[in-house]
Amino acid sequence: MSQGLQVLILGLALGGVYALMAIGVSLTYGVMRILNLAHAAFMVLGAYVAYWAFRILHLDPLLSIFINGPLFFAIGILLYRTLFVPLAGRPRYTEATLLLSFGLAMGVEGLMGAWWTGIYRAANPAYATRSLSLGSFYIPEGQMYATGVSLGMLLALWLFLHRTRIGRAIRATMQNRTAAQIVGVDVEGISALAFGLGMASAGISGSLLSFLSPFFPGKHWQWIASLLSLVVLGGMGSLIGTVVGAMVLAVTSVYVSSALGPTWSPATFYAALFLVLLLRPQGLFGRKEG
Amino acid sequence: MALLDQTRAATSSPLEARSLILAGLTVGLLLLPVVQVITDGYNYVLHVLTVIFMYIALASGWNIIGGYAGYTSLGHPVFFALGAYFSGVLLVYRGWSPFWTAPLAGLMATLFGLVIGLITLRTRGPAFVISTIALLLLARLVLDNWEWVGGSNGLSLPMIGWPYRFYKIPFYYGMLITALAAVWTSYRIRHSKLGLFLRAIAMDEVKAEVAGVHTSMCKIIAFAISAFFAGVCGALWGYHQTYLRPTIFLTIGAAADLVLINLVGGRGTVAGPVLGAALRIGLDELVVNQLGSTELNITATGLLMILIVLFFPGGIIGALRERGRLPRLLDWD
Repeated sequence: MSQGLQVLILGLALGGVYALMAIGVSLTYGVMRILNLAHAAFMVLGAYVAYWAFRILHLDPLLSIFINGPLFFAIGILLYRTLFVPLAGRPRYTEATLLLSFGLAMGVEGLMGAWWTGIYRAANPAYATRSLSLGSFYIPEGQMYATGVSLGMLLALWLFLHRTRIGRAIRATMQNRTAAQIVGVDVEGISALAFGLGMASAGISGSLLSFLSPFFPGKHWQWIASLLSLVVLGGMGSLIGTVVGAMVLAVTSVYVSSALGPTWSPATFYAALFLVLLLRPQGLFGRKEG
Repeated sequence: MALLDQTRAATSSPLEARSLILAGLTVGLLLLPVVQVITDGYNYVLHVLTVIFMYIALASGWNIIGGYAGYTSLGHPVFFALGAYFSGVLLVYRGWSPFWTAPLAGLMATLFGLVIGLITLRTRGPAFVISTIALLLLARLVLDNWEWVGGSNGLSLPMIGWPYRFYKIPFYYGMLITALAAVWTSYRIRHSKLGLFLRAIAMDEVKAEVAGVHTSMCKIIAFAISAFFAGVCGALWGYHQTYLRPTIFLTIGAAADLVLINLVGGRGTVAGPVLGAALRIGLDELVVNQLGSTELNITATGLLMILIVLFFPGGIIGALRERGRLPRLLDWD
């Protein structure tokens, strides 16, 4: 019993981080139907920035979110303007964005591999190896901080989307792009902003990733497959679905990991994806399209 | 129907220069190994051609779902691996030659494609692509940990018992026949009702469905057929390599190759994958053999993909056709 509860605690903590990692994918798809396969590649890039800032400048990886956030926001705006705007109006737009971001992911992966080789890296601040115990339960200290930052970021995003005018414009664009444009929303500006926010979340997740688990350039494929699986589980384009999907799959994968060994924990994500496509293709919170 | 009649009229024209050239090329390729027997060995040429044939078969197969129907699959390496392991295991445990079991391997891949398609192709849109990435990584995880087929260390296969000077020849013919079959199948589908439906799906799936096309059925059939050639190629290639290892077959890079070959040549056209495969492997031989393989190759592949998506979405064939400069020789649509 207490073993099960321990696993649940760890799972929920991990789920908070997964939710932050995936929210950008979901936001980008929801606002402009861009399926960004390069999201996790930029996340790993963010992890490298945090790693080197820690190694060279002795900057705490938790503080590097203040570098990565603005940096990746700017990269996002730039990429959106240069690569994705020219695709606007193409037939089968999502397909085109997917191929484009596939190329982008490989481009980033190759550069990271060339500069920093394929060695496994992980930042090791003091808290990365410490654990806190609460009664008979324990939680790794680094994991707790990461979850705290993630939940804080998600809360900030929620407040931004629900309490500000721009946030409302973003939500309106997600619900109906054409109608939003008609009532006067600057859809192009909103799209650039949303893409920037998505990329900023990738950068910030990267800071957290840098001390949570070892990474190398090619690792991003595994991450993007897991993140996309949980986005599909929650329902594509639904932010709340993404958070719920992240929690469900994180908890399940931690259970699987403790029962069958850590090798099989990524398989949880893929198995869940096929299950959801079989039973409820639109996902938990998705609307039926068409 | 008018369109169908038109295509039929256009394709059933009597012998013309194009058919003669293509037939001549085919005969030349079929006779090439005979020259090898007479003269001194030139395994290198046969080797490069074998690889080109393989990629022609793989990419033409991919094109059936990825080009005609417009559903990008990153999961085709799974069918490739399935074929390789199926025939490889039969060779190791039963001693059956992969040259005989390759068609069976293709059928296994088809069957597997059918099952996967039934799960992932009932819905429209990007969920399919995501599921193919997941399929690839799941297959990798399974094969890495399945000790009976060697796990991540892989499975060694016995070498083919031919003298060194000639041992490329059976593989050359195997891949050539597979490539011809793949291109022929692709051509026949392109000029069939199924091909018409698939292209309708690629253009506008909702409209196709409203017009009465059973879209999920068409997509699932296309996916299963396209898996066949990957299975056959896998069986032959595994035997050629004499060892099977998940890292050779199941990588995103292998999936990217198929996408890129189709994008370069022109996805959704019959000649596109053929042209793309020849260019890709030819360039690879020039660049990688001269400069060596580095991480930057991945970047170059990625950049090429970005440039094509941005500036030449129709690939070489598409760009030429748009300008009205596509030679008859390459217009197989």
